[in-house]
Amino acid sequence: MSWKMKRIEEQTYYEILEVSPDATAKEIQRAYEHAKETFHTDSLAVYSLFSEEEVKRIQTVIEEAYRVLMDEALRKQYDESHFQAIESQKWEKSLEIEEAPREKRAPSLIFTDLSADTSEGEYRGKALKVIREKMGIDLKTISQETRINAKVLQWIEEEVVEKLPALVYLKGFLRAYAQSLGLDPQKVIEEYLTSVGQTKKVK
Amino acid sequence: MGSTQGEDRKAIWTIGGGKGGSGKSFITTNIGICLSKLGVRVILIDADLGGANLHTFLGISPPPLSLSDFIKKRVPTLNDVLIPTSVPNLQLLSGAQDLLNAADAKNVQKQRLLRSIQKLEAEYILVDLGAGNSLSVLDFFLMSDGGILVVTPEPTSIENAYRFLKSAFYRRLRQLPISLDARNLVDEAMDSKNERGIQNPHDLIGAVRNVSEDDAMRVASEVGRFHPNLVLNQVRTKKDIEIGFSIRTACKKYFGIHLHYLGYIVYDQDVGNSIRKRRPLLLENPQSKAAQCVSDIASKLANSQPKTFRLE
Repeated sequence: MSWKMKRIEEQTYYEILEVSPDATAKEIQRAYEHAKETFHTDSLAVYSLFSEEEVKRIQTVIEEAYRVLMDEALRKQYDESHFQAIESQKWEKSLEIEEAPREKRAPSLIFTDLSADTSEGEYRGKALKVIREKMGIDLKTISQETRINAKVLQWIEEEVVEKLPALVYLKGFLRAYAQSLGLDPQKVIEEYLTSVGQTKKVK
Repeated sequence: MGSTQGEDRKAIWTIGGGKGGSGKSFITTNIGICLSKLGVRVILIDADLGGANLHTFLGISPPPLSLSDFIKKRVPTLNDVLIPTSVPNLQLLSGAQDLLNAADAKNVQKQRLLRSIQKLEAEYILVDLGAGNSLSVLDFFLMSDGGILVVTPEPTSIENAYRFLKSAFYRRLRQLPISLDARNLVDEAMDSKNERGIQNPHDLIGAVRNVSEDDAMRVASEVGRFHPNLVLNQVRTKKDIEIGFSIRTACKKYFGIHLHYLGYIVYDQDVGNSIRKRRPLLLENPQSKAAQCVSDIASKLANSQPKTFRLE
């Protein structure tokens, strides 16, 4: 949940170089050159923000990240030992690549792959939450991508019917939420509304 | 806050950046002209406290009515001080010529002005800010979630921009509904020589966490919502352009924020010529390189999502 507010020491090598965990060697090379240029001792962009010691520390980490990620064996080893951090970064990163088309940003996972607990009906709020958490995405991230208030997303997940917005907005929110998880929006909307409608009539 | 009903189509962009002479008014004027060509209503607001001259960039004499008249309640609404320009769909709200110096602007007046700006009817509202880090300038900048920093690729300009960003960043955190103890920590963080050794936002969140986990979460998530933009002005070389990306990376590492590099504007003699003629570049020489750069930036703004509005 610390989400983006990570100290240098807490960042994965991919985050250090600002590349996605599935970056090619070419992309890593380019990112390394950019990072090196940015944190160059004479760089205009850093001297007034970071102390000299901080810059040196970052330079060292950049070199280390580059050394490991450019070596296939070392990278594999690193990926295995940092599996969790890297998985969650996949999500954060994918949202930040500015020009990436939406289709590419959507996850390839489908609902059945995740064997979410559907005993309470398919896409109930709880099931959406389970899927989201299995993907390692926090609500803030979804909120940022969909521009839906995190509180509203939480109400949707918890099915706080009295707080849910009017139907027309709820549908829009569900659609955006479903898309951000890579789920079928139509299916999510239908099943969610049926499920919630049974609990209490939606406005 | 999410997307608010009814105001979905309005976007407010505030243009600041710390240093005078970086090109804020030039950029505000010309982006405004680009956006007005989309056939939608655009309002330019000159919020340069004490140094208002957006009218000059538009080739208009100092208008008889300005923000001063609204602040002194000589007119009931902001609409009463809106003046037309020679550009269709583009209106100007001229800056205060006398009053509203940073020190004079009372908080009540400022809040009234901010609220009135947000109620103005227009598709795009561009607010040109003055130089410096006064609280008034910061509050205007923070009116939009997507304030635009205008920076030139020079050490002094970048330094000031960081100082401005730091001030805006902490000012924003200060406005959060957090405990008094946490707020005091934010205040301490603003003083770089603070006793606790809080040197950056990471340290601050760590310190706040010791006070309250909830407050720390609030601060961290607010950081994630802060999306300022960067325009690099007067670039002369490819290396200059790359400084923009470096600034973005530095902000990410230091603040944990995503500074969106909106674009750059090349150094172009035509800019100076147009200003001297008191004719906006987009009208005087739309084919010039700098005008093309401005158009690119404007189209990015037009295609971006509407900004949410922050009102206390």
